[in-house]
Amino acid sequence: MNLTTPLSILFMVGGLFFFTTATIGLLRFPDFFARLHATGKGDTLAVLLSLIGISLYEGFSLTSLKIAFIAVFMFWAQPTATHAISRAGLRRGIKPWMKKENKI
Amino acid sequence: MIRAYDDIIVKTIARILTPFIQIFALYVIMHGHHSPGGGFQGGVILGASLILLFITHGLKETKKRITEKGIAVLSSLGVLIYSGIGLLCIILLGNYLDYGKLSKLLHIVPAEARSLGILGIEIGVGITVMAVMVSIFLNISTGGTLLEDEEDNTR
Amino acid sequence: MDGFFLSIGVGLCILVFLALYRVVFGPGIFNRVAAVSAIGNKTLIMLLIMGVIYKRIEMFIDISLVYALLNFICTLAISKYLEMEGDK
Repeated sequence: MNLTTPLSILFMVGGLFFFTTATIGLLRFPDFFARLHATGKGDTLAVLLSLIGISLYEGFSLTSLKIAFIAVFMFWAQPTATHAISRAGLRRGIKPWMKKENKI
Repeated sequence: MIRAYDDIIVKTIARILTPFIQIFALYVIMHGHHSPGGGFQGGVILGASLILLFITHGLKETKKRITEKGIAVLSSLGVLIYSGIGLLCIILLGNYLDYGKLSKLLHIVPAEARSLGILGIEIGVGITVMAVMVSIFLNISTGGTLLEDEEDNTR
Repeated sequence: MDGFFLSIGVGLCILVFLALYRVVFGPGIFNRVAAVSAIGNKTLIMLLIMGVIYKRIEMFIDISLVYALLNFICTLAISKYLEMEGDK
C-alpha cells in the first residue's frame, strides 16, 4: 500500500484551500492592513503545504532538497516583504479601518 | 542618494540571505551545462544580491565593500577572460573560440577541453553581466553623478 | 495523477485572475503592490506543478527558486521607493 500519494493529495488540497482563503481575504477585507494580514499569513502557509505535497509525490532525491531550500527561503523572505510594505504604508499615512462607533 | 533602511528586521534578513543568494548564483553559473542557467542568468542573480545590499544598507555602507572603480575593473575583466580564451584558440592554430584546440595546452582529450572552455566563457560572461547590472543600478540611482562627487556635494 | 495536478493548476489560475481585480481597481499603490506579491506566490507553485506534469521538475525547480528570489527583492525595492517618496 503506497501511502505517499494520498498524503500528497491531502497536502495539495490543503494548499489550494489556504490560497483560496487568502485571495478571498485580499478581495473582501476593508482596508490595506487587513488585506496584507490575509495574504501575508495565508500565502506563506499555502506555499509550505503545496511544497510538502509536491516533494512527497516526487520522492526523496536532490529535487526534494531544493524544495526544502525554497520552503526555508519563503519562510525568511515572505514575512520580511510583508513587514516592509506595511511599514511603508504606515509611514505614508494610510489610516487603519475602524468601526463607526470606535472612531476618534 | 540611497539611504539605509532604519529598520533592523529588513537589514538583518538581507544580511543573512545575501551569502546564500550568491552561492546559488555560483551554482547556476557552474551547472549551466546540465540545467537551465549559465553565464547571463547567474550574473543577473549575483547582481541582484548586490542590489539587495545597496537597497537595504545604503550607498555609503556598501561602498566600503565594493567601489565603483572595482565594478569598472570587473566589467572589463569578464570581457578580457572571454576574448582571451578566444584568442588563445587562435594562437593554438584553431578558429576563434575553437575549444578543442585547448587540449594541447591542458593535456586532456578534446571533449573535456570543450567542456572546460565553455565553463571559462560562462565565468567571463557572468562577471561582466554582474558588474554591468550593478553599474546601471548605481548610475540610475545617483542621477549619473559619480559617487565621489556625490559625497562632496552633500558636505 | 496528472489530472489532479492539472486541476490544482487550473484552480490557481482562477485565483490569479481574482487577485488581478485588486491590481487593476485597488485604491492606491499599496494595495496593488500587495496583490502583485500574492500573485507571485501563486506563480511559484504553478511553475512547480508545470514541472511535475512535464516530468522535468529538476529543470523547473531552479526557475521557481529564482522567481521567489526576484519577487522578494522587487517587493523590498518598491516598498523602499514608496517609503522615501515624499521627503528628499
